[in-house]
Amino acid sequence: MAILRFGSLRLLRGLLTLWFAVTVTFFLVRLLPGDPALAVASPTMTADQRAKMLADFGLDEPLLLQYVNYLAQLVQGNLGISFRQSQPVLDILLERLPWTLMLTGSALVLTLIIGLPLGVAAATHKGGTIDRIVQIGGVVGQSLFVPTVGIALLYAFGLGLGWFPIGGAIDSDVYGFEAYISMARHLVLPALSLVLLQIGAYVLTLRTNLIDALGEEYCNVARAKGSSERTVVWKHALRNALLPTTTLVGLQLGFLVGGAVLTETIFAYPGIGRAIYESVGQLDFPVMQGAFVLLAATVVVANFLTDMAYGFLDPRVRVS
Amino acid sequence: MRNSRNTRAGLRGAAIVAAAAVMMAACTPSDPDAADDEGGTSGEDAGDASGGDLRIGTTADVVNFNPLVGNSRTDTWVTNLMYPSMMTLNSDGEKVPALATEWGYGEDGLTAWIEIRDDLEWTDGTALTAEDVAFTVTAVKDESLGTVSGMIGAMEDAEAVSDTRVEFTLSRPDGAFLNSIGFWMPIVPSHVFGEAPTVADFANDSDWVSAGPFVLTEVDRGQRYVLDAVDNYPLAEGGQANLDRVIYRVYPDVNTQVLALRSGELDLIANALPPSVVKELSGDDSLELYSVPSLGWAHMQYNMRREPLDQVEVRRALAHAVDYEAIRQVVLGGNAVSANSSVLTPTFAQWADDTAEEYAFDPDLSRSLLEDAGFEDANGDGMYDDVSFEMIYDTGDPIISTWAELVRDQSAEAGIEIELSGLERNTYLSRTQDRDFDIYAGSWAIIDEPQSNFVLLFDEEGFINYAGVDDPDIDALMEEASSALTVEDARGPLQEIARIVTDEVYDNVMYVEQFTFAATDQWTGFDPKPSELLSVVNPQSLASVRPAE
Repeated sequence: MAILRFGSLRLLRGLLTLWFAVTVTFFLVRLLPGDPALAVASPTMTADQRAKMLADFGLDEPLLLQYVNYLAQLVQGNLGISFRQSQPVLDILLERLPWTLMLTGSALVLTLIIGLPLGVAAATHKGGTIDRIVQIGGVVGQSLFVPTVGIALLYAFGLGLGWFPIGGAIDSDVYGFEAYISMARHLVLPALSLVLLQIGAYVLTLRTNLIDALGEEYCNVARAKGSSERTVVWKHALRNALLPTTTLVGLQLGFLVGGAVLTETIFAYPGIGRAIYESVGQLDFPVMQGAFVLLAATVVVANFLTDMAYGFLDPRVRVS
Repeated sequence: MRNSRNTRAGLRGAAIVAAAAVMMAACTPSDPDAADDEGGTSGEDAGDASGGDLRIGTTADVVNFNPLVGNSRTDTWVTNLMYPSMMTLNSDGEKVPALATEWGYGEDGLTAWIEIRDDLEWTDGTALTAEDVAFTVTAVKDESLGTVSGMIGAMEDAEAVSDTRVEFTLSRPDGAFLNSIGFWMPIVPSHVFGEAPTVADFANDSDWVSAGPFVLTEVDRGQRYVLDAVDNYPLAEGGQANLDRVIYRVYPDVNTQVLALRSGELDLIANALPPSVVKELSGDDSLELYSVPSLGWAHMQYNMRREPLDQVEVRRALAHAVDYEAIRQVVLGGNAVSANSSVLTPTFAQWADDTAEEYAFDPDLSRSLLEDAGFEDANGDGMYDDVSFEMIYDTGDPIISTWAELVRDQSAEAGIEIELSGLERNTYLSRTQDRDFDIYAGSWAIIDEPQSNFVLLFDEEGFINYAGVDDPDIDALMEEASSALTVEDARGPLQEIARIVTDEVYDNVMYVEQFTFAATDQWTGFDPKPSELLSVVNPQSLASVRPAE
């Protein structure tokens, strides 16, 4: 019963967050200077043509009415029609979504696979060489600028060594197994740049939590009972140290998706991030809003799932 | 406890693996090539004897496949290869035959006619006739489509009187009418576009029927646009394009694009390269660089609705305070020519005025002009009182952002204070539209028909009359020029307008940019044409390009 109540409260909170994000986005894009008709207008258009364009976009209505219309559309799952491409926003985004999921998903998995042993190594060799390298590397990685990392990787591994392609997500004219290899080759550099940028946060968080956990009494008890240090670290301390890291996955997801905007642009990767980048330049409100809603929803869902997982994993969370 | 924890950890691990698997699986249906397994030439065979694939980089996706609606650069590059224009440009900026063979006006200027070729057909086998031309121009007029609709205000009616001849009725003589529709209006198939309820809403995003050298066959948004050569394109030497395919690939970042060109992933970059990149690439022996002039110009405009910019002495002082040659050499790396401060630039040989002269860089002259106009430097700080201006520009334009600083520093030497306001593009457009600036720095992409375009620039109500020009002499000359039916008749009044504009500093034309494009040396036979829109990717050029020996 407690878990049900806990679940519905979290769900309500998620929906409220989503509504808030939708509202802020709606008004924010309309606060941008300039109007979309101007962004696409050409000098030879007549004033009537420009007015007609605004009317076609529904932008001649009062702002509040536009907002209500938008919400009404949204609850029906309709994200509207793109101003620039006469195509439903949902279609545009769904076409792009799998690529973004694959990029961010593999970056996340890679981060965890590399980050976990690194964090453990740093915590168990506190103050040692590995620890220092991890600490410095973690901070440096987090402060890097995506385009710089991207271009550097492309220059070294794409142009210099020729190991990986420069841009795109898949070669043309490849089929079957070859297509998967091509997809994987195109994925390596953009995923690596996302890993480099976010791995620091995971490793440093894990390191701190693990050091704390290793000093706890239950670890001392385990040691007193004759468990090897390896068992103490991996079977006892790491379990508890991982809990806050789970939360970080939810929190970092927003960052990961934000990083994808620049990463996809640099690596010519055809995901949602690129769609955002392009729609901002063209003031294509429906696509901008749609993409933000989709991303906000992803983060809200991820956080909801993390919360729920936490509720299952740690009974104390449910009760409080 | 231990067992239950183990189970939870195992579940978590399984959940992560499952999530990763779902993401991978979600991408599989998007594998664009697996679905249509037709074989075809490999992307790697560029340069072989069969013609091969030319892979062209662009920074943006196609926004709209309907050539009468889409107006982004990539839209035009792709649709230009499919929907023929009646005219194209030669290297002197003159309109020359493409689909059209001849054209002319009736003696009173109230009728016009175009003859087109009789040997083109659409890819579905239907002949391309004058009916298609009449249908296209009528749809543009009736539905106010795109930029062309603003150019055909004089047209009342268009009729196909035979398979190859279209006749137009005009409400007033308009000497730019035929050139404007000839160059700017792609002809679409009436039997396809006419089926749609409205041409404006026709997305044209599949089953393309075209009559250019190539036809779209495959679209992967965000990645590539594949066009196959058609068998019958009489405008090409040999009756069809040499290439097998043209593949536009999207690289939003110019630096990535250049890396792709150098690594052999691309054969050509369609967008003009920034001067800094040109410098970097000019030493690379494996690349060929092509240079074409802009059909527009870069300039500053002074808002004459505001004091003291309404005084011509102040505008002249501003114009003489800038070292234009330094800007061309330092900022543009020499990739620009002087327009002799004239709105009739040297790109258009038939209009340019040989006697035009650039504003001399002379800060002392600027100072004396300001002093003659009564301005003083009361506190002796070297700057004149009440001569301080805000200059707006688009920070997305790296060239203008750089020279804006030079202009500010040089003007300060002449005692004129300029405060720079670099703005995000949409803010910049909005403030220009509201005429909310002292000095505007920017550029026109294409001003190809001065007879009609000057009205946009210098008429009191002109959409891009940012400076606020309102001059009865110019109005009368524009009237004369727009109704002139020959180049000889139009040249006189146009050159007189240009002289007045220079003299009154209605528009300070600073330079004509020379765009540079890069291709690998694996290809030859490009036919470069002026402007970034035509450049080396115009249909004539891509129909004639072939692998280098």
